[in-house]
Amino acid sequence: MAAGQQWVLVEMVQAFYEAPAYHLILEGILILWIVRLLFFSKTYKPHETYKLTEKEKEDLIEEWQPEPLVPPVSKDHPSLNYDVVTGPPSHKIIINGKECTNFASFNFLGLLDSDRVKDKALASLKKYGVGTCGPRGFYGTFDVHLELESRLAKFMRTEEAIIYSYGFATIASAIPAYSKRGDIIFVDEAACFSIQKGLQASRSFIKYFKHNDMEDLERLLKEQELEDQKNPRKARVTRKFIVVEGLYINTADVCPLPELVRLKYKYKVRIFLEESMSFGVLGEHGKGVTEHFGVNIDDIDLISANMENAVASIGGFCCGRSFVIDHQRLSGQGYCFSASLPPMLAAAAIEALSIMEEDPEIFSVLKRRCSQVHQALQGIPGLKLVGVPFSPALHLQLERSSGCRSSDLQLLRSIVDHCLDRHVALTVARYLEKEERFVPPPSIRVVVTVEQTDEDIQKAVSCIREAASIFLR
Amino acid sequence: MNVGTAHSEVNPNTRVMNSRGMWLSYTLSIGLLHHILLSIPFVSVPVVWTLTNMIHNLCMYLLLHTVKGTPFQTPDQGKARLLTHWEQMDYGVQFTASQRVSYLLTSFYTKYDRVHFVVNTVSLLTVLIPKLPQLHGVRIFGINKY
Repeated sequence: MAAGQQWVLVEMVQAFYEAPAYHLILEGILILWIVRLLFFSKTYKPHETYKLTEKEKEDLIEEWQPEPLVPPVSKDHPSLNYDVVTGPPSHKIIINGKECTNFASFNFLGLLDSDRVKDKALASLKKYGVGTCGPRGFYGTFDVHLELESRLAKFMRTEEAIIYSYGFATIASAIPAYSKRGDIIFVDEAACFSIQKGLQASRSFIKYFKHNDMEDLERLLKEQELEDQKNPRKARVTRKFIVVEGLYINTADVCPLPELVRLKYKYKVRIFLEESMSFGVLGEHGKGVTEHFGVNIDDIDLISANMENAVASIGGFCCGRSFVIDHQRLSGQGYCFSASLPPMLAAAAIEALSIMEEDPEIFSVLKRRCSQVHQALQGIPGLKLVGVPFSPALHLQLERSSGCRSSDLQLLRSIVDHCLDRHVALTVARYLEKEERFVPPPSIRVVVTVEQTDEDIQKAVSCIREAASIFLR
Repeated sequence: MNVGTAHSEVNPNTRVMNSRGMWLSYTLSIGLLHHILLSIPFVSVPVVWTLTNMIHNLCMYLLLHTVKGTPFQTPDQGKARLLTHWEQMDYGVQFTASQRVSYLLTSFYTKYDRVHFVVNTVSLLTVLIPKLPQLHGVRIFGINKY
């Protein structure tokens, strides 16, 4: 043992003296560098911002003019004068004290006032109280939520469904859960505002194609394919999605779904379908645009819809394969970090689903009414009807725009006021003009429900005609 | 795994090397590796030192400079997806110091033999050069870019 130790000491010292010079120099450099690193260097930032001189800073501070906290707004801005509704927005709605026939609320199937739904909601209110006071992960998951999810999955014939407590947040949470920085999304120009917010949150590359123009989409997909061929390694880690709506809320027409599925398989992209307006409306049993076109539900990767239109509840859902939907349970921001849907609204949605399942006749009734209204609104001088005959929310746009959006809106508002005076409730479609990517032209939105009778429709159409002849000459 | 919810650090990878006990466990694991190599009967002491140095540098290179992204989903929509661990860390001064100390020790124990010198120096350089600030985000020949 002692001999071994001696070997180490003596031989080490010898070796040090015999060491080649380059080695010793290199070691000396290393030792100095270590000392410098440990004691003399500041932490560095790889991206140093440009440093300003004192004078430049003073100049910038002097130049700065603060913007007013509240920008100046005219007194007769439409958002400052709103119509007040007292009572439920059912078939007969009380606006500003006047009882009117409702052609403005998205109560397509008339489930808002259904006694069955109301009874179930009341029973649920008595059992659970009003709110859940917690997100799904912290004691906010009730049995009604799980029941609603399984009922929705069964209704849409998918593997799984997930519930969100706010309809706007549904698609706005679903898109950024799958699409991240560096991914590519192809989206229609007429996509609604919630889709736009979801796209913005995803930080992906967004490519817009012209509304319902499959050739434009194919052109974009081909360009992307060429780029992928140039750089296959990058293409392998880039995800590509197409986001479309079943029935567009802004233009009231339907997406060409079979064509989209063909493009999906040809260019290997995923389809996200937003069915807020078409769930409970299109198809023989109300299952949406996939049933309408006879497309296999498994071809669509994610279907998202809000339950605030036909289902007459609150919240939204996404459905698809378990593999896809399960991811949102941890990555859907609106799911993890918002309080869950109040149980009475979930119970109301379950009852609404039951009514939809038991009585598929209402969908054909709705379809008939839609085509009736579409027929009747054609040919009003000064207004053009935008939308497909089976869409329950149609748009009446000005045939000749004055060029200025606010005067167009005022004109349309005067038509709506005229109709309100005659007890027909209509609404001007409203948008956040500064925030929307492609603002749709101003229009009056006419909504068709199953509860409207022939007389109601006739009266409404004649009111609109009258108003158009007075205000639009 | 859902990160960034219990504290405000969006990407924990930037701070993991500063956590408590990281230095101690790092030194202990190198010591353990060295002991295991020493217990192989037919290998001589200088070769063991060189082997320790090489294996340590190789593992360091793979973990810090080859593997990209994070093993968990971050709430920043994949900002660090194309960055190696070294590029994600804010600074890592101590680690480069430790590499150099390791090199010094190895050189000492291999008694400055030339072959060992070459091998050890090359191994050291492969680990030191990617850590220079000038090489932040640089991908030579497009290797490991995506």
